[in-house]
Amino acid sequence: MRRILALLCVSSCVLGAAALFARRSNADAVAERAHNLHFSSIVLDTHDDTTQRFFSKDYSLGKHNPDGHVDIPRMREGGMNGIFFSIWIDGRIMGPPAVQKALDQIDAVHEIVRIFSKDMVFCRTAEEVRRAHDQGKIAALIGVEGGHMIGNDIRMVRVFADLGVRYMTLTHFYNDEWADSSTDKPAHNGLSDYGKDIVREMNRQGIMVDISHVSDKTFYDALEISKAPLLASHSSCRALCNHARDMSDDMIKALAAKGGVIQINYEKSFIDEAYRQAYDKETGGVVNHLSELTKGCNNDEACISREMAKLQQKLTEEGKLPHVSWERVIDHIDHAAKLVGADHVGLGSDFDGADMPEGLEDCSKLPKITEALLRKGYSDSDIRKILGENTLRVMEQSERVSREMQAQN
Amino acid sequence: MFRGIAIIALCVCAGALMRATSRTRADDVATRAQKLHFSSIVVDTHDDTTQRLIDGRFDLAHRDASGSIDIPRMKEGGLGAIFFSIWMPSKITGPEAVDRSLVQIDAVREQVRKHPNDLVLATTVTEIREARKQRKIAVLIGVEGGHIINSDLGVLRSYAALGVRCMTLTHTGNTEWADASTDKPVHNGLTDFGKNVVREMNRLGMMVDISHVSDKTFYDALAVSKAPLIASHSSCRALCDAPRNMTDQMIKDLAAKGGVIQINYHVGFLSQEFRNDEKLHPEWEQAIAAEVQKRCDGNEGCQLIVGDQITREYVAQGKLPRVDWNKIIEHIDHAVKVGGIDHVGLGSDFDGANMPYGMEDATKLPQITEALLRKGYSESDVKKILGENTLRVMAEVERVSRELHSAN
Repeated sequence: MRRILALLCVSSCVLGAAALFARRSNADAVAERAHNLHFSSIVLDTHDDTTQRFFSKDYSLGKHNPDGHVDIPRMREGGMNGIFFSIWIDGRIMGPPAVQKALDQIDAVHEIVRIFSKDMVFCRTAEEVRRAHDQGKIAALIGVEGGHMIGNDIRMVRVFADLGVRYMTLTHFYNDEWADSSTDKPAHNGLSDYGKDIVREMNRQGIMVDISHVSDKTFYDALEISKAPLLASHSSCRALCNHARDMSDDMIKALAAKGGVIQINYEKSFIDEAYRQAYDKETGGVVNHLSELTKGCNNDEACISREMAKLQQKLTEEGKLPHVSWERVIDHIDHAAKLVGADHVGLGSDFDGADMPEGLEDCSKLPKITEALLRKGYSDSDIRKILGENTLRVMEQSERVSREMQAQN
Repeated sequence: MFRGIAIIALCVCAGALMRATSRTRADDVATRAQKLHFSSIVVDTHDDTTQRLIDGRFDLAHRDASGSIDIPRMKEGGLGAIFFSIWMPSKITGPEAVDRSLVQIDAVREQVRKHPNDLVLATTVTEIREARKQRKIAVLIGVEGGHIINSDLGVLRSYAALGVRCMTLTHTGNTEWADASTDKPVHNGLTDFGKNVVREMNRLGMMVDISHVSDKTFYDALAVSKAPLIASHSSCRALCDAPRNMTDQMIKDLAAKGGVIQINYHVGFLSQEFRNDEKLHPEWEQAIAAEVQKRCDGNEGCQLIVGDQITREYVAQGKLPRVDWNKIIEHIDHAVKVGGIDHVGLGSDFDGANMPYGMEDATKLPQITEALLRKGYSESDVKKILGENTLRVMAEVERVSRELHSAN
């Protein structure tokens, strides 16, 4: 009896373990493929608001911080080896003060890259990003989030380019002097004539034209004027979440037809319709919310991000805001890829500037995206494109257009 | 009678012969000077031409009837490297100063982009020498006045990133952190922040320029700076007692730490007589200023050029003394005697000051080489004054910057 029992026990254990092992082994095969694919790819995130944190004493890029979404240890853990640090100030600050603040932030990026030069290298071109990857370093790039920072002066486009800026979002939440924003009342019917000149100068300087944040009309104007493909550095799909900050299917198609890329934003209110509606109801929408926080925080940008995260957590705990899973990010990638093909989709997290869905709490979680896409049947090559190669292609095309225009001088 | 004619003819011949010989000797020096000048790297550390670039009507490619600097005249005068000055009056401060400086830096860089066959932006000695090999003019950028950083080291670093390789700690007015030579002292030289500015300049490889600063600021900067200093456009106070010039002691102390005084050609800094007359008739200075205002409105590029023109009108009328370009040679020679041959250079102040007669523009620069040769300077010494001394300071500043970076 005892023997039989023992036998039963042993055999069931063996059988159970074997079944478990077989299943895990299948799972492991995909996971391992995903892991290998992810960590051999250039994973280039086109929008991170971490720059604001560089001014805070509580933050260090070099150590694992208890809060926020991005630092070198977590980038290493998540295989994120290319990052656009965003230069951002409130869209209502204009003129020379805006220019100087932008300069300070650009300088802060250069300084921090210098301090952490063992892990990071500043890059201006696609080739430099590839070289950084070959050397095992994280490529740091700069994007300016809002045309208001040029102080209504086209010459600052050139100054920013000379300082290493590689994309500029034409507006932030508010219209600037020459372009309409998606979250403001139209004042220019898209791009003004000066705005069109600015887009041309961006082409000439090799600064990618970023149409995240702009009104639909501004997008179509920029699309028409720009000689280089456009980038939506951090926007998602309006078909899945009806936010003005996202792109309609028609816009995504038009963007792709000219070689551009939509970089999916992970912000909960841009990826989940139920969340968006609840959030708008609770806070009056992101623009209003940010404006209130700006006042409360006395323009301290690190405080604004902190307070925003705090409130959203509280509202979620109280059940006033629904839970949003990281898988919504995959839905948006998949929607855009199905719509226009894998050549026109990328990643623009909005880390450290937005509220992240559950399961994608920081950049260490990025390998999940690769694994999820593999499981969805995406090819290795398509996944590499989404992770970074598409962005590099747009960079290369912008560089080519810039060279051509400068040669015509 | 015939004999008489023959004698006269002989005399004429002999005279012609003598003239020919002396011409040959003169030509010898002239030829040597010409060769020497055009085989040297001639560096000018201070030119205010930038102001003319802002309104978009002036372009360096075309020979201009007014002013002192453009590409054809730089080529004719053998000017191989030029520091374009980023300047605005000391009263312009805050973000507006930063904004305006970026516009000026961009204007310089745009000229380089527009004329790639003639100009190349240079930020290092190696790049200047490379420009020379390619027969291009090396364009460098200097900021004239610490007020332009708006007390923000991030802005200073941005200037460095944009190619600025020299900064005058003040202009005519004190900044928030340094006293000027032409203002009432309020900081007793450099403040603690001012000392940090100097240290950061050392780290960035930007030359610390002590033209315009008070004597105390000079000594403070000399004590703090790990790299040699330059006076980008100052002359000798012993010859012309202007606070903008350097005393013999200052020149010696500057030289002892490897620095260079770049002689300014402004008549008010070269000639005591001119300076005395100016002082005697402050009403003329006011009248000139009023006339400049009338002709130029607010355009600073115009003001600088027209100021020089009107001053010349006063000289023509006999109101102000005529200052000859040879005064520049006197200052160079004096500074060499006081500080040594390794510590003197050229900082014209073209397009920003009143030029002496015979040094109206960059085409006249070869005269300096010839005059120094005639004074008995060796070719190697002349080369030092024309540019090699400045290049040595730049190389030293670059070395200090590398050291400070690796020490970080």
